[in-house]
Amino acid sequence: MFKTVKSKILITAIVMLTILMSAFVCYTIVSRMKTKQLMVQNYVFSVDKFVQDINKKIIRYEDNVLDLARIGSLFYRTDKSFELTNKTIVKIFENYPDSLGGGIWFEPYIVDKAQKRICFYAYRNKENKVVLDESFNSEKYDYHNQGWYKQIISKVTPVNNVVWSEPYYENQGSNTLMITVGTGIYVNGELIGISTVDWEISTIIEDVSKMKPLEKTFSMYKNGDEIKNSFALFGNKDYDNIIATSDPYLNNDELIGHSLKEVPWYSDNLYAITYITYHNKKYIPFYKTLRNGMVLVVCVPEIEMFREIDKFYINMFTVLLLLGFIIPALLYFSMNRYIINPIAKLKDIAYKISNGEDVNIKIENPEEFAQLASTYDKMTNDIKLITRERAKINSELSIAKSIQASSLPNVFPPFPDKSEFDIFASMEPAKEVGGDFYDFYFIDDKKFMFLIADVSGKGIPAALFMMTVKTLINNLSQVNDDPKELIKKINKKICETNKEGFFVTMLAGIADTMTGELNIINCGHNLPLIKRQNGDYEYLKLNSNIALGVFEDTEFEIYNTVMKAGDIIFTYTDGVTEAININNEIYGEQKLYECLNNIKETKPNIIAQKVKASIQKYTDSVPQSDDITMLIFKYNGGVNKGVNKGTNNMKTFKQIVTQENYKAFYSWLHDTLQEWNINDDLTNKLDMCAEEIFANVAFYAYPDRQGLIDVSLNKFDNKIILEFKDGGIEYNPLEKPDPDISLPPEERPIGGLGIYMVKNLADEIYYKRENNNNILTLIFYI
Amino acid sequence: MDVTIKKIGINGLYIHASGRLDLDTAVDYGTKIKDTIEDSEEIIKEVILDFSEITFISSFGLKIILELFKLLKSQEGVLKLKNVSEQLMGSFKLVGFDKFLVFE
Repeated sequence: MFKTVKSKILITAIVMLTILMSAFVCYTIVSRMKTKQLMVQNYVFSVDKFVQDINKKIIRYEDNVLDLARIGSLFYRTDKSFELTNKTIVKIFENYPDSLGGGIWFEPYIVDKAQKRICFYAYRNKENKVVLDESFNSEKYDYHNQGWYKQIISKVTPVNNVVWSEPYYENQGSNTLMITVGTGIYVNGELIGISTVDWEISTIIEDVSKMKPLEKTFSMYKNGDEIKNSFALFGNKDYDNIIATSDPYLNNDELIGHSLKEVPWYSDNLYAITYITYHNKKYIPFYKTLRNGMVLVVCVPEIEMFREIDKFYINMFTVLLLLGFIIPALLYFSMNRYIINPIAKLKDIAYKISNGEDVNIKIENPEEFAQLASTYDKMTNDIKLITRERAKINSELSIAKSIQASSLPNVFPPFPDKSEFDIFASMEPAKEVGGDFYDFYFIDDKKFMFLIADVSGKGIPAALFMMTVKTLINNLSQVNDDPKELIKKINKKICETNKEGFFVTMLAGIADTMTGELNIINCGHNLPLIKRQNGDYEYLKLNSNIALGVFEDTEFEIYNTVMKAGDIIFTYTDGVTEAININNEIYGEQKLYECLNNIKETKPNIIAQKVKASIQKYTDSVPQSDDITMLIFKYNGGVNKGVNKGTNNMKTFKQIVTQENYKAFYSWLHDTLQEWNINDDLTNKLDMCAEEIFANVAFYAYPDRQGLIDVSLNKFDNKIILEFKDGGIEYNPLEKPDPDISLPPEERPIGGLGIYMVKNLADEIYYKRENNNNILTLIFYI
Repeated sequence: MDVTIKKIGINGLYIHASGRLDLDTAVDYGTKIKDTIEDSEEIIKEVILDFSEITFISSFGLKIILELFKLLKSQEGVLKLKNVSEQLMGSFKLVGFDKFLVFE
């Protein structure tokens, strides 16, 4: 499944995307860390700004208290106008809107020897109006004995030293948690009292909890989007006490005034980006010292601090992950639509074309495939044209091949009336038309010429040349007696007609059918084998002449021998010895020699058949690469009596072939044989064969009509030829396999025995199909 | 063709015919014998074919003989051929029938 274009592109895309995404993830992790640092730094700035704000407030409180001290000093040094001082105090407080209230407190009896307590106090009422409060002058309150007074006065030295008190509850008026800032009132270096300003701590706590990062430095936080759950501590390091906390885990009110150490997360050496764990939660503390020595510690939960960042990154990852699915999916679909489907379509079309279907190719989209499809279409039409042309050429070629084959004598026996010799030849053409041929004919009354030849080259040119050569040899041999002269002329003529540089190897024999004299001419051809009567086949060691068509003026050497009755000469072309098996090994002369010597039969057609079978067995599935041509000549001995042409001895029987007519048929056969004085044994053989063939034709040749059978009986000196002709359906009885006669009788089929008998009884048997006739020829030796 | 069929004993047949056993006559010859075997009340166990006057047997005739042999064999009978001339014997040998037929 990973072999398709689709999967390959998809895999590549996924791999690339994975690489891209991992790179992006790495980048994101790094950038997230950076962003976190930035975030923390940003928060440091926020804390700084907050501290600055508080410092400003502190300065204002201190200014306020110092202003009050100056009023106090003025009061003391001038006419001690209470009215003016009161007015001034009210005025001052209007300048310091943050201050809750404050006052001027003189030491006992220092202004007026008669009056122990002189103080001025003003505060902001609920309507935010500054009003005077004279109730502190009372004996009952006795401010000199209040803790805050004592604390401040003990610390205000030297001049202008501002002191912050510990936090306390104002139980006189509003009962709120306060701290007081105070400074000494000095006249001529003498401390005559103090001035104080009150600061309501709850406002600090509010401020602390309102702390948020700077809006503009980090855009992640929208306006008013604060960091929740952070908590803070505001304390005085000098007194080691807590002024305010907003720790959700502790009871804050009770802690106020206590040691800073009681806040577990307090540590005076904290600085940004150290994490502390408090109640199983991670916090980032920010520690700052204020201008008056107070400290501010803000703890921000890590989760909260990075909440927005994490949210951002989670969103980003989600988008990335979605893209990771969506992109390949989109890729897959678009690839399918624009690439794979058109390809599949083209593939189907190609398949259809290869099956010979007529298809119209049309793809409109995308453009490249549209072009490809139109090219395809054109190509298909071209192929159709070419195929048509090719088919025409092929059919012409096969016609040429059959013309070529039919130009060779192919009716056997060719001279049924000649008993002096038997001849058989065959050419098995290779796929192409080739240049092998054979021929034989009488060149006069008793001289018989046979030849086998191979024109160099293949294909139409070789075939045409072969036809020329064959005709040429035939013509010349009719008018030349002397073999030597004949071959010389043949060669000369071939040279004259041969402009293309062909040459011809040939083995020709001219036999005197009366005497058995044989002239053999070998022009560069394969050596023939000869079997002398009862001996073995042996290669005839001939001196080879040069092939025909090479040199115009060549002398040829002729080999002369005499054949005795029973001698067989086997000639062939190199298609026999050079047949190739699956291992690319040639059949060879040795194999041919062995094969021939294993053949017990002496009938030329049987010999040819057996050699062919042997070659076929050897080559097996390897296609035939060259023409396989053989010509076998067997000499039966000359006949000294006058040549019997046989026509006088021919009898025929021609009737409608029916079972009823069989009686007439065998009567005719018997009468004829009796007339010729044929012995009982041979008569019996002929009778059996004739009956079988007759019955076959009667039963099977004309399945739906009545037809004729045409039988001829021909007697020669040493053989009888019995020929059957019928116009029925084509049937070659020789192709029928032999029955197994060694089978036990129960297993034997009833049919099939007849043809087997015929094959065994007749000495020679031939079948051919000619002009829609089945012609079966049986030859019986007398 | 004249075919004479005689009964021997309870389950034997003796058949005599003269002339040719070929396409023209063999079927008739075979049918007569087969019908007799099949119509017999007793199961025929022995059939003797007298060939003394048979002059010729063709492949058709041989087929009929094989059929008769098979028929008898199926009912555990024996087919015997009597007085077969040398010439006809050659025909039997040619198709290998001599290996299973009984000649007397």
